[in-house]
Amino acid sequence: MKRTMTLFWQLSIGLFALASWQWGWELHAVAPWLVPDLFDPYFVSKPSEIFRQFLHMGCLVSPRDEWTYQVAGAFARCIGHSENNLWIATYFTLKNTLWGFVSGVSSGFALGLLLGRSDRLSEIFYLYITAFNSIPRIALAPIIILAFGIGDASTVVTAWLVVVFLVFFNTFEGARSVDRDHISAARLLGASEWQVTRTVIIPSAMAWLFASLSPAISFSLIGVIVGEFIGAEHGIGRMIIEAEARGEAAGMMVAVFVLMIVGVFLSSVVRRIQAYLLRWRPAQRAGG
Amino acid sequence: MPNIPPDLNGRCRIELRNVRKSFVAEGREVVAVEDVSFRIREGEFVALLGPSGCGKSTILNMTATLLASNGGEIRIDDKKVVPDKPERHVGYVFQKDTLFPWRTVEGNIGYALELAGVPAEARRVRVAEAIHQAGLDGFARFYPASLSGGMRQRVALMRTLIVQPEILLMDEPFGALDTHTKLDMHSVLLDIWERERQTVLFVTHDLGEALTLADRIILLSARPGRLKQEFSIDFPRPRDAVALRETPEFAELFSRIWHSLGEEFAKGHSA
Repeated sequence: MKRTMTLFWQLSIGLFALASWQWGWELHAVAPWLVPDLFDPYFVSKPSEIFRQFLHMGCLVSPRDEWTYQVAGAFARCIGHSENNLWIATYFTLKNTLWGFVSGVSSGFALGLLLGRSDRLSEIFYLYITAFNSIPRIALAPIIILAFGIGDASTVVTAWLVVVFLVFFNTFEGARSVDRDHISAARLLGASEWQVTRTVIIPSAMAWLFASLSPAISFSLIGVIVGEFIGAEHGIGRMIIEAEARGEAAGMMVAVFVLMIVGVFLSSVVRRIQAYLLRWRPAQRAGG
Repeated sequence: MPNIPPDLNGRCRIELRNVRKSFVAEGREVVAVEDVSFRIREGEFVALLGPSGCGKSTILNMTATLLASNGGEIRIDDKKVVPDKPERHVGYVFQKDTLFPWRTVEGNIGYALELAGVPAEARRVRVAEAIHQAGLDGFARFYPASLSGGMRQRVALMRTLIVQPEILLMDEPFGALDTHTKLDMHSVLLDIWERERQTVLFVTHDLGEALTLADRIILLSARPGRLKQEFSIDFPRPRDAVALRETPEFAELFSRIWHSLGEEFAKGHSA
């Protein structure tokens, strides 16, 4: 019963928001005292417009307003027509996000483990890492583009830069907070130094690493979009910039919605992986 | 050396000679253990009994190489122990739950075999046997988080016992369990020990526990811990952890040692 009510409210709010967006501007013209002028289509477009634009940008409908699946070869022709259509852009953004995520997580983990387990190294490098961490990473994006040129490389590097610190600090904390009794237990059971690292320290630090995977994938997506804003040939971020240059609110909105779907998809996949990897944890999953 | 009992029969496995341990706390030296000497023979089950804070765990941890002593020496099989270099044939059971939470029951129990490079197939057989012996059938794939305290301690016990240590050091292993579970664990331990006869040094502050399990009780004084008295516990074996507690002999010995122990508890509180 409670579930049904929740669903009812969710649906109502969603429909109300869509309706206001669709007809709000016209209503404002008729009754300015009733509806505020929040929905100027020049800036935010309209749901119907955005949907139409989505069909076009996704080559589901040809420029002549025919469904492409009804005409043989029309979809392929449409795709070939534009270098950065919705599909190609999504593919590039996804690909670069995953690369940024994978490279950031693995290097952040290795670095965190190394410094977390060596007091000497962490003493020396901690100053630099903290200083570097204080720079808003996005501020470095133009420098990265300058160094790596326009293209995938600089997008991935931007994403990496955003992810690596997050994962580093998590792993570092994890490696420092390994339960000393677990280490003692392993030693007393006959573990060598290397075996202690492999069977106690890495698994303990992994728990912290896994907890940072969810934010890491979101951060990676942010890094990629910023990279694409500034210097990329493909990708959804690039698409937004192009639509902006043409003053096409609907095109920007399509890109934003696709980004939302990509974001939801990525984080649900990562969350699932995370839940599996952390299945040994006591059942307090609600807290994350 | 006044405190060393005569070596009756059987070789000496653990020997402490004038062992001393002090810590520095807030700039002052605090002596935890003072001039402790005793011997434990092959196959003997010795309980180290004393009030909290008397240094009994410290003695055990020094024997286990987890701590370094400040004086005297500790020998296992006539070889001086070196801090941080645990002996292969010495097993240790913690008071605290130190199971690896990311490993299942079978993963935890098989851990030491894995370290020793025992092939997976042989490992599986031995782990299954240990699980059965501990009464944990059906829980092989459970993670520690979903087990009760008593079950976790069974897993911890088996994790140590699977490599068949000849010497077993136990630090109040059942201290955190409720009375019922504790008696249950006594049965499990007696069952295993009466069959395998490891040499055991068992730290506890629970007199009933010491009487149930041990051949000999070494009573420590309140801080700084010194040897106070020794008691031979010659209840016949095999013992029944529950029935033993109801015998008049148990009650008689209990009250005799209780008196001695009571004095130390009183000192421990006034200190």
